[in-house]
Amino acid sequence: MKKRMISLIIVLIGIPAVILLGATVFSGVKYVYFTLIVSALSLAPFLISFEKKEHTVTYLVLIGVLTTLSVIGRLLFSVVPAFKPVSAMVVIAAMYFGPEAGFLTGALSALLSNFYFGQGPWTVFQMAAWGLIGFFSGLIAHRLKTSRIFLLLWGAVAGVAYSMLMDIWDAIFADGTVMLSRYLSFLVSSAGFTVMYALSNVVFLLVLAKPIGKMLERIQTKYGI
Amino acid sequence: MDLLTVKDLSFTYPKTEHKTLDGISLRIRRGGFYLLCGYTGCGKTTLLRLLKPELAPFGALAGEIAYGEEFGAPPAPHEIGMVTQDPNEQIVTDKVWHELAFGLENMGLPQAEIRIRTGETAGYFGLTDKFNSPTAALSGGEKQLLSLAAAVITNPKLLLLDEPTSQLDPITAMTFLETLARINRDFGITVILAEHRLEEVFSMADTVLAMDGGRLIACDTPKAVCAALQDSRLFPGFPTAARLWKALGAKGEAPVNVREGKALMREACGEKTLLFAPPEKEKTDAPAVLAAKGLWFRFAKDGADVLKNLSITLRQGEVFSILGANGVGKTTLLQVLAGLRRPYHGKIKLNGRELSAYKRGALYKNGLALLPQDPKTVFLKDTVRADLADILITQGCKKEDAEKKAAEAAARMGVTDLLDRNPFDLSGGERQKCAMTKLLLTEPAVLLLDEPTKGLDAFSKRQFVSLLRTLSAEGRAVLAVTHDIEFAAAVSDTAAMLFDGELLAAGTPHAFFRGNTFYTTAAARMARAHVPGAISVEEIAEAIAKAIAKAQ
Amino acid sequence: MKAFGKLHPVTLLVYFVMMLAFSMFLRNPVTAGLSLLGSIAFCCTLTDKREKLEDLKFYLPLSALIVLTNPLVSHNGRTPLFFVNGNAFTLEAIWYGVFIAGMIAAVLLWSKAYSKIFTSDKFLYLFGRILPKTALILSVALRYVPLMKAQAARLKDAQKTLGLFSTGSIADNLIGTVKVYAALVAWSLENAVETGRHMKARGWNAGRRTAFSTFRFRFTDAVFLAVFAAAGTLLLLAAAKGTLYFGFYPAPTPLPTDPISVSAYALFGGLAFLPFFTETEESIRWTCLRSKI
Repeated sequence: MKKRMISLIIVLIGIPAVILLGATVFSGVKYVYFTLIVSALSLAPFLISFEKKEHTVTYLVLIGVLTTLSVIGRLLFSVVPAFKPVSAMVVIAAMYFGPEAGFLTGALSALLSNFYFGQGPWTVFQMAAWGLIGFFSGLIAHRLKTSRIFLLLWGAVAGVAYSMLMDIWDAIFADGTVMLSRYLSFLVSSAGFTVMYALSNVVFLLVLAKPIGKMLERIQTKYGI
Repeated sequence: MDLLTVKDLSFTYPKTEHKTLDGISLRIRRGGFYLLCGYTGCGKTTLLRLLKPELAPFGALAGEIAYGEEFGAPPAPHEIGMVTQDPNEQIVTDKVWHELAFGLENMGLPQAEIRIRTGETAGYFGLTDKFNSPTAALSGGEKQLLSLAAAVITNPKLLLLDEPTSQLDPITAMTFLETLARINRDFGITVILAEHRLEEVFSMADTVLAMDGGRLIACDTPKAVCAALQDSRLFPGFPTAARLWKALGAKGEAPVNVREGKALMREACGEKTLLFAPPEKEKTDAPAVLAAKGLWFRFAKDGADVLKNLSITLRQGEVFSILGANGVGKTTLLQVLAGLRRPYHGKIKLNGRELSAYKRGALYKNGLALLPQDPKTVFLKDTVRADLADILITQGCKKEDAEKKAAEAAARMGVTDLLDRNPFDLSGGERQKCAMTKLLLTEPAVLLLDEPTKGLDAFSKRQFVSLLRTLSAEGRAVLAVTHDIEFAAAVSDTAAMLFDGELLAAGTPHAFFRGNTFYTTAAARMARAHVPGAISVEEIAEAIAKAIAKAQ
Repeated sequence: MKAFGKLHPVTLLVYFVMMLAFSMFLRNPVTAGLSLLGSIAFCCTLTDKREKLEDLKFYLPLSALIVLTNPLVSHNGRTPLFFVNGNAFTLEAIWYGVFIAGMIAAVLLWSKAYSKIFTSDKFLYLFGRILPKTALILSVALRYVPLMKAQAARLKDAQKTLGLFSTGSIADNLIGTVKVYAALVAWSLENAVETGRHMKARGWNAGRRTAFSTFRFRFTDAVFLAVFAAAGTLLLLAAAKGTLYFGFYPAPTPLPTDPISVSAYALFGGLAFLPFFTETEESIRWTCLRSKI
């Protein structure tokens, strides 16, 4: 619990502080670097605290498999553009295994899928974006499990949030600085994708969240973990 | 003290009443090669897993397992190696070299030592060429060899193998078993091997442990076990030579391989050649259901041809089996015939109409059905019942009707008590029966079966043969591609071999197996000199009995 | 095997991080151009004809799009060409667009080369030292990718003959794929538990662990790293002194041509073309050697 508080403090206070610092004190320095540093900063506390904790090997393998599932989903559903189960799988991992697992599944999904779709500086940012979606989903896991409507709403919100976060990166990457007009133009041009992200999250959560919960429960009784 | 002593071991799984293991006592000598046999569900997997602490199942345990003084207390992971059926779940890394190094890394050995040991082990197992390959790129046989190599590399005192060859074809399986025997011989590592395909492995072992219903019913040399168990229900799964020995009156020591079987034949027949007339089958003029003509197929534009001008006709009620080595294109042929892959030349007609003229949905309703190599892929739901209902609903059945119809179908196939089980929890034989139940709900005219006996024990195999005969009597045509020669001999009306993209020597099983030297049954090999034309133990015994009766 | 890829992962990572960072960081047309040309040359040695053509089809329209849209969102600059809705469409903005397009293409191409050279096993090797558990998860995930692909294909084939995907419409396809995906999830979870048990059975987590690798740090790596460190420091110093500065707005500043800048250009050019030279040298040497076989 204490560790979770520390991660939360870093995410909620540390990152905005760095951004503020960057904007005022070091205003000449490039925003791309800031974004990358901020992303890396949001990854570090989770990864470090995760490495220090005790885990069963089965837990680690399960997270690995959930990660692969989200990436394979991206390939399987390539018929419909932007209709991907990645965020949904991240939310599901968080729902049943908690914020840490959600974070890892999210961050590693980004990393793994970029082994196939191309790595680059954006990987760090994408890892942070999906990781945080997983982390916050884990914090409200109880609500997600008890209320279906809440779960679907959250899925839609996560889809929109992910799309808007990635637009921030694209805008900063393009200009090396924050230009509102550029960001707005990206937001508009990717609106179709944003809607699809939200929609696919809702659909996948609707179809998969419960069955996967059942499967995990079954595995728990069968193997006693 | 022995390497391992098991005293009065009993085990019960959670939420079940009956004992999976019931009072097992056993002593394992150092350097022995033990064969553990018994039907699926007899408890051999449970016993093996209990001997490996990290893989021990959860449940109520009574009795004692005492390890010899060379083991740590409890035994360290690297002291006992284990290889199981499914190569995919036991390989844990993505590169061959890493898989080999994994156990050594966990022991904390220095880099230089790991480098040498992985190198020499790869050499010993013939994996040098694959050292830098991804594990996913290996064939099934290579994966099992890699698992074995990765278990041996840590210098274990005991190797446990749970049906390691059940997913392999016979030739690859032999390579694996011979490597295993060599390890036992060269390094003196004690081996306990659980198997249900006993034909070749029986004579390799120095001790056979037989289990039935959770009890150890025999523990002795292979020959002595044959003598002791000749009336047990396990015996039909024993090597052909031993079964022939019993059919001829069980005199003297039991033979356990083809060489000894031939000696037995010489003894029984002397220098005489007995006449054997294969059963005459009436020529059927049943109408052709599935007819393919001049099929050419390749996977990629500039790839090699897998099928070359292949033609095949399947008649109503006919059971047709196709044999052939690994990678010869048997699965591909089935997929082409099932309409899953399109040949670039040639025609396939179902009931006189070309496949392409059918709408996809219509093709698989009252038409074609394909049982894939891995029956797990047939199931989508978490119970068999839901799965059976699901396919009926997909076909447009109402929900209430679907449940009822599913229950009826299950009753017909004798799987009613499996309806509420999860498909993943079923044994190989049970899973296959349920998969067939699901396929039959599409009322197929033609059943295409891909390696249907893979992983089945002798008992389930015989049940499956009689199921196929029933289906054929109903007028359905069955086409099975298989490695399993004994199965093909028992079930087929027609047998053929697929080689280099063509079907060779299609004919009745007697005509087919009589002509072959390698692709033939063990019984035919023993019978060749004295009862030419016979392909099963029953036929040989019958011919000999007739000859004796005549002589008297 | 690619010659440059044979270097130790640490050397490679330092190189790629340096190239990516300088490509984004040095806002100077000469270095940007060198970086772009170097990355193009490198990628040419890594790709076959078809892939080159595909890349061309991707990068040309992308660059054109950036060049044309920049003046639409940025109205700085002294030389208006025409007005759209009262906003100036300036020459400087076009130039800046060209610069951004070049820079983005360079970053994308360096990333592409990185993806090709810095394969997952190299990544795991480095990662595994710093974050062993996370690396373990990643290696399991990587291992499952081909397994799941194959299983998904088998499931799809099996289910096609059982009435799914029967019409070929998008809706049918989607329903079928969702069902197959759910079955794949069940299969994977089931397998995962078994894999985890096998890892434990083979001693994972039993104590101190060696991280074995087939990579070796050679003398060449030391030389390369020393060169990178020296070149990187010099470039950073030059950048910090502001000599490489180039501004686009309101009007382009003169291109820095003082001795420090020129030597920085030369240094950066050398870095950018290093992989290309290594590859070419290796293939020439190999041709010579082969002629002797």
